[in-house]
Amino acid sequence: MIIRHAFLVCLIILPALLTASAAEKSKPLPKDLPPYGPLEPFKAPQVAARTLSNGLTLWLVPRPGFPKASFAVAVRGGLASDPMDRPGLSQLITDALDQGTKTRTAKQIAEELQAAGGDLSGAAGSDSIVVSTSVLSGNADAGLTVLADVLQNATFPDSEVELAKRNAVESLRSQEADPSFLARRALAKAVFADHPYSVISGTQASIQGATAEDLRHEYAKRFRPDQAVLVAVGDFQPDKLMATIESLFGKWSVPKDPPLAAVQKPSRPAPREVFYVERPGSVQTNILVGALGPTRDDPDYASTQVANAIYGGMFGSRLTLNIREDKGYTYSPWSALAPRHQAAILQTSAAVRNEVTGASLNEINYELNRMATTAAEPEEVSQAQRYLTGTRALELQSQGTVASELARLWVFGLPPEELGTESARIQKVTAKDVAQVGAKYFPASRQTIVTVGEKKVIEEQLAPFGLKVEQAPKME
Amino acid sequence: MKFLGWLGIVICLQGVAVAAAGQRGWTVPTVMKKLQNGLLVVVSEDHSAPTFGLCISYGIGFRLEPEGRSGFAHLFEHMMFEGTPVAPKGTFDRVVEGGGGWINGDTRWDFTEYIDTAPVAALDPALWLEADRLKTLDFVTENLENQRKVVEEEVRLNMLNQPYGLFFAIDLPGKAFNRFPNAHNFYGDFRDLDAANIQDVKTFFEHYYAPNNAVLCVAGDVKPDEVFEKVEKYFGGIPRRQVPPKPDVSEAPQTAERRATQPDKFAQVPALAIGYRMPPRTSHDAVVGAVVGELLHNGQASLLYQALVKEKQVALSVDGGANWPLGNPFEYDGPTLLTSFLVYPPNNKENDVVSAYDVVIAGLGTKGPSSAEMDRIRTKMRSDWYGQLEIPVERASVLAHATLFDGNPQRVNEIPDELAKVTAEEVRAFARKYLVNANRTIIDRVPASAPGGKSEGSEKGAQ
Repeated sequence: MIIRHAFLVCLIILPALLTASAAEKSKPLPKDLPPYGPLEPFKAPQVAARTLSNGLTLWLVPRPGFPKASFAVAVRGGLASDPMDRPGLSQLITDALDQGTKTRTAKQIAEELQAAGGDLSGAAGSDSIVVSTSVLSGNADAGLTVLADVLQNATFPDSEVELAKRNAVESLRSQEADPSFLARRALAKAVFADHPYSVISGTQASIQGATAEDLRHEYAKRFRPDQAVLVAVGDFQPDKLMATIESLFGKWSVPKDPPLAAVQKPSRPAPREVFYVERPGSVQTNILVGALGPTRDDPDYASTQVANAIYGGMFGSRLTLNIREDKGYTYSPWSALAPRHQAAILQTSAAVRNEVTGASLNEINYELNRMATTAAEPEEVSQAQRYLTGTRALELQSQGTVASELARLWVFGLPPEELGTESARIQKVTAKDVAQVGAKYFPASRQTIVTVGEKKVIEEQLAPFGLKVEQAPKME
Repeated sequence: MKFLGWLGIVICLQGVAVAAAGQRGWTVPTVMKKLQNGLLVVVSEDHSAPTFGLCISYGIGFRLEPEGRSGFAHLFEHMMFEGTPVAPKGTFDRVVEGGGGWINGDTRWDFTEYIDTAPVAALDPALWLEADRLKTLDFVTENLENQRKVVEEEVRLNMLNQPYGLFFAIDLPGKAFNRFPNAHNFYGDFRDLDAANIQDVKTFFEHYYAPNNAVLCVAGDVKPDEVFEKVEKYFGGIPRRQVPPKPDVSEAPQTAERRATQPDKFAQVPALAIGYRMPPRTSHDAVVGAVVGELLHNGQASLLYQALVKEKQVALSVDGGANWPLGNPFEYDGPTLLTSFLVYPPNNKENDVVSAYDVVIAGLGTKGPSSAEMDRIRTKMRSDWYGQLEIPVERASVLAHATLFDGNPQRVNEIPDELAKVTAEEVRAFARKYLVNANRTIIDRVPASAPGGKSEGSEKGAQ
């Protein structure tokens, strides 16, 4: 129903003048269609960077007008830094972080934030934990006060941790009923093998085995000002906000222990493998195909973004036109370059009805190999560049997105100016660059394939490919 | 491309507040004009970024799709992306994406909206393309066959291959209401989708896709006069059409609680959906109902979260609200529900969850909310309401629907104040009048693998 398609893809700015005649290949556009107007260059948000004496990085983006303020705090160390015997612990930390501080109960925290017009949300990623909120700007101090408290003084009360664990156990069971979760979990395991990026979630055993003391211990290690960034975006006066931040975060002390060790880059590419995850009763097969791609600081990143847009990253992409608009195999094909700090997966996803599982994989392979073996049309490249740049500008209209994107850049070790410079790099990408990354990252033979659905369907449908199809490793 | 998760599309509730003096007066500018052919055009000027958001929304949704054609309004929405005689399939995507933007469409109970957003350089071609597909479509069977398949995959993806299968949005109104318009499976039975033919597409288009049945809103880096001029140029020559009169879709009052149990093939954790019939949309009671929905469901401070998840620990999550999850509490035009969706631990019994739920509801009807609770929810609702007006494409949608249903885009600036005026006493009176068992429907969705979950479903206390 409802949402037909929507893209979350990346990237920024824009140059000169678009004319409709530049749009795409052979087919002419309607003769009366008015041309694009002159394009104003997109202005990246101006970020004021400061550092408190305790090492806390501050990135401030004042935006007068819209009467809210968004805050995001990222601390280094996420799922990839969890203890080996506690996979997924970062998620429990995130769940229980706002369930009590030295001076506030969980209920008080929720109520104070609601009174400011916000909620607290937390996300445990591979490399970081990000905590954020968005409040009415007149209540920015109140929102920041609660945020500062949970970042510095969370106590992880035993009873709250017990409840969080019980709920996490059921939440995992719920997730395990969702085929897309099963596919993502299996692909991360297949691509990253023993590397800590292979973990995207806890297990029943790791959740049940975690203690409140484990959480307090990891919290103390990670939540420290010299390993954190606070991003503020919205309708505030910078000087006044700085004073508030100084008073709320200035006394946050730096532990003597060294920070967490950095996550290493994966040492080897994963071998090509084909897995299935059995899900009885499925009326579709979820296909998720992926392989290592360039990280955000890799010189190949911009070219791969453009290549991905052409391949499957927008509605007018080859993949969508092929398996949705031409063949009707699926509603929702997509591809994306999903970067972590030290590695990235270039992945393709499609949920297809059982009887076209093999046919869909065949088309995915075809489109991947087409990227790997043939050059894109210049028009396809320019279309993708404009798409990436324009939609990035659209995303960054939201102050919450600006906050979360800046926090993510910091986690990746990149400066805030990256918001502006990434688009400049996108604009410089040529058809030759696209062909080069196409050959490097897109060959179907590099990709690990995960399928989720009826085992019998998958075995029969994949038989013509002559690949060894194995059961994905169990996650328990 | 990414499908937006079901819960993700819930446009939150609306709000009001007494707090935060600095924000109380924040409003969005709107200018409205009506073309000769009846098209209502709304512009909201905002120069904070060189972009625009455009929403053209038609006054037709699931509710009025013909019997025997369940799911057709949505299938038709897909056909609007399949091209016209002069702009063949693929043109729209190519032009707007090539202009640095994206397009989308969605169907709800009482409207179908088409949205385009991009840097302003693409505004002219986007308007032209929207006008073009309001003139006529490429009524080609091949495209219908293609989109029928795509839609069936969409239904599999979001409903048939998912735990819970959207039962809180589809089965709950199906049980709570008696008449086809309000009770049918709006995603569509495959029999009905398969039966749809190109003549149905033509007829539906001729009936409902008329300038006099639509609102066009543009928000962003534009000037109203320039937009009016462009819209006049591209849409002005499109003739009015005779739109079928709105049928009576009202329901006879509910007199007894309705309950059902459904087995779920995929879910590992059971869930409950509870729906109370809402008072008529234009009544003051409906405004109170919007506040009640937020008091009950908005975040960790909400009454249900605190009581069911934290204190009694009989539920794992709580979600819901008035007209949830298919729009904000003002974007509909017919019977709707105040819905709660509760996931609960398998070691709990349905009745324990309902009992704990009933204590909260009873408390609202006797003691009523505290003044602190009212103050907090007013602030939160104001903040959430502003949130959906932040970026042009979302603002355009909210403005379009205020105009479609109330004839007045300024309604988006009035709603926060109306919500703010709701008193604790009105909340209490609402709970006593509407949050009663005889006015509700409960569906318990049980993992098929659980004991008792294998049956085909049972019906209790049917009316």
